[in-house]
Amino acid sequence: MVYDGIVIGLIVGFLRAGWRNGITALSQIRIKGGLIFPILLATQFLLYLLHDNVSFIQQYNGYMFMLVYAAGLYVLVINRKEKGFWWIFAGVALNFLVMLVNGGKMPVSVEAASVLDPIYVDMLKSGDVSTKHAMLDNSTVLPFLGDIIPLTKPYPRTQAISIGDVVMNVGIFIYLQHAMASRKMGLSLLNQNNID
Amino acid sequence: MIVQWYSNLRKPVYTYTFFVCLWGILLFMSIQYHHLPDYSMSDWVMIYSMVAAVLILEHYTFQIPPEGHRLSMDSSVYLAALFSFGTNLTLFVLALASVVSFMHNRAIVWWKHLLNFSAYTFMILCSSAVYSWFGGTTGAFNLQHLTAYLFALFIYFVVNSLIIGLYYLLLYKGRLYEIIKGFLSDVVFAYLSTLLLSIVLVIMIVNNRSFGLFLFLAIGMVLSHLFRQLFKMYNEVTEKANTDLRTGLYSHSYFEEKLDEYMRQSREQGQPLSLVMIDLDDFKKYNDAFGHPKGDKLLGFFGQMVKSHCEPKGLFAARYGGEEFAIIMPGFAKEQARSFMDAFRKQVNDTPFEGVEVFPHGCVSFSAGILEISRETYDKSQLIDWADRALYAAKAKGKNTVFIYGEESRLPPMLENDIYELEQQVKIFLYKDVYTYKHSKRVFAYAMEMAEYLKLRGEDRRQLVLGALIHDIGKLEIPRDILNKKSKLTGDEWEIVKKHVLWGKEIVSVTPKFKDLIPMVEFHHERFDGKGYPNGLKGEEIPKQARLLSIIDSFDAMTTERPYQETKSYSDALQEIHRCAGTQFDPELAAQFIGYMEGKLSEAEAAVTAEGDHDD
Repeated sequence: MVYDGIVIGLIVGFLRAGWRNGITALSQIRIKGGLIFPILLATQFLLYLLHDNVSFIQQYNGYMFMLVYAAGLYVLVINRKEKGFWWIFAGVALNFLVMLVNGGKMPVSVEAASVLDPIYVDMLKSGDVSTKHAMLDNSTVLPFLGDIIPLTKPYPRTQAISIGDVVMNVGIFIYLQHAMASRKMGLSLLNQNNID
Repeated sequence: MIVQWYSNLRKPVYTYTFFVCLWGILLFMSIQYHHLPDYSMSDWVMIYSMVAAVLILEHYTFQIPPEGHRLSMDSSVYLAALFSFGTNLTLFVLALASVVSFMHNRAIVWWKHLLNFSAYTFMILCSSAVYSWFGGTTGAFNLQHLTAYLFALFIYFVVNSLIIGLYYLLLYKGRLYEIIKGFLSDVVFAYLSTLLLSIVLVIMIVNNRSFGLFLFLAIGMVLSHLFRQLFKMYNEVTEKANTDLRTGLYSHSYFEEKLDEYMRQSREQGQPLSLVMIDLDDFKKYNDAFGHPKGDKLLGFFGQMVKSHCEPKGLFAARYGGEEFAIIMPGFAKEQARSFMDAFRKQVNDTPFEGVEVFPHGCVSFSAGILEISRETYDKSQLIDWADRALYAAKAKGKNTVFIYGEESRLPPMLENDIYELEQQVKIFLYKDVYTYKHSKRVFAYAMEMAEYLKLRGEDRRQLVLGALIHDIGKLEIPRDILNKKSKLTGDEWEIVKKHVLWGKEIVSVTPKFKDLIPMVEFHHERFDGKGYPNGLKGEEIPKQARLLSIIDSFDAMTTERPYQETKSYSDALQEIHRCAGTQFDPELAAQFIGYMEGKLSEAEAAVTAEGDHDD
């Protein structure tokens, strides 16, 4: 779900700013502690790979994800001056919160997951789907923060997402728009001055 | 801190806000308390979607011309929620949306968020009560509940208008009826469509859940966007209509509109207000010499000067038409306005511009008339008329001056026509010798004052005043070379100059009704001791008014700059007249003239020192 906001944000951004301006604007993006993000992604990927092989990781997998989340939140906070980052922070925090109170796993409602492949629903019910997800039931705390929003046609992807995901993607979208489109205005002003 | 809070709270508008908020929150709590949110997951999805819809529509707030009331279409979401899911869920959506909006728009002061929230709570609760009272039930759209829908919409609208109307009533004072009426007339259609859309949304939401809402949202955004464009366009067009493209100043019609507003404001605040009419001097001459494009440039240049001079002081400057400009000066009494305008006039005079040599003054200049608007004056057109009259008085005095209405000498109406007629004749000097023109104007002004001072009436007054205006008309016949000669005149040339009194006599005698002015023209160079020209008349042989005119004429000649003469100060000139009393001038009249002028000078001096003291 993280990618949707980025993809849509980029598409709209390029439409508004144009190719060259958009690329220039993107190349000028500076985020404090920006390197942490790829490291976090790599860690996540590594955890996913090693999950089945290393028992230590299997046992504490949920908490390790929590650590990854906390690091991500930290990077967001130090960048809070950037437009849209508060939204991203709020979204991630909401997701973090619901996972924290539910043993490190994101609760997924069966109802919402029914838009997905039926196999997935079965796996969810049997309780051994993935490292990150769990079925939402009566024991779930703060269920309304879980993955309860079904995304399906006409949206091009089929997914179950949480409100935190939505808020986070709104933030990403706002940030990209601001970074790309405002840059364009600045450039066009500059060009005008040159012509004069 | 608390004391200040309390005293703030006692202002009606804050008291009102406080109670609306208090009651709104109490009502909200009392209803939600019994019904803690316990929604199914699909309800939650719906709630999220509606909160998002509200926030997006709020973000797309648009304004309706002409007054710019801000409207957003979020009301249709609340109403649809109310009709489809009931009061509790609607209030819950409202609360969530309010919290997010509070966190997002931190620029808005916190109690306005609260007020907004409470107002919506009232609106939702009232319309919910009416809805169920008329038998409406939650759920899908039902045609049988049509009356319930319509009354709920109506009450929603009424409560909204009342809450907003009361707020503005307390904030701006005025009458509730007027405020609500103004509000209604502007927004009623936009509001109606918002409310009707809520029914559309009910139909869509029940059948297609979130997708229905999404579709609605898209329509709402597009509509809001269009309204925004409309408002933007409206503003741009008004801006264009209100400004004059040539000069960048405001337009005539906008000036009239604003004048009313400024007058009302000054009446309410008890502050002085001055109106200034400006006319560029001899603009036509410039236009004729260089063509209209150049003339337009001059207008633009002058307009920019007016603008840059007036804007920092908060003055309203407009192009009244042609080369006429008008300035509204709130907070300026007439004397302040005069000193402001004189300073500006000097600045304009000193600013170089291409082609100013065609102007008689050799620079860009203007005449201005000032009117201080008193509390009793109501009629706008009369005001402009009066300021215009002061402007024409300034023009008549030889231009490049500023005049205050009521301070130019008043003329009896009978004389006025004759003066106008002779003025036209004297005007011919403008093409030939501007010095003679201005001299005639000044001598005329002195004559007016003397006539007043000596209490001359009827024929005497007429003879003096009109004679003063026309006395040098014979100089038309003197060749330019002689008139403008800077070195001393030869004997022959002097003989020609002397002849102007006879030529003047001939010119004046063409018009029968001005026959009585002939002695004034003919004899204003006679001397009391008989050594003058043309006839060498002596003492009482010279008509009295001509004797007086001769004094004034000489006084002005001494005190004005002329190419072949050095300028005397007023007191030096009076001394000279005193010295020549009995030889050149009638001693009695000379004494009277000196007496009058000295009184005037000491008055002016006193005014200057008084002003100086004031400055200290």
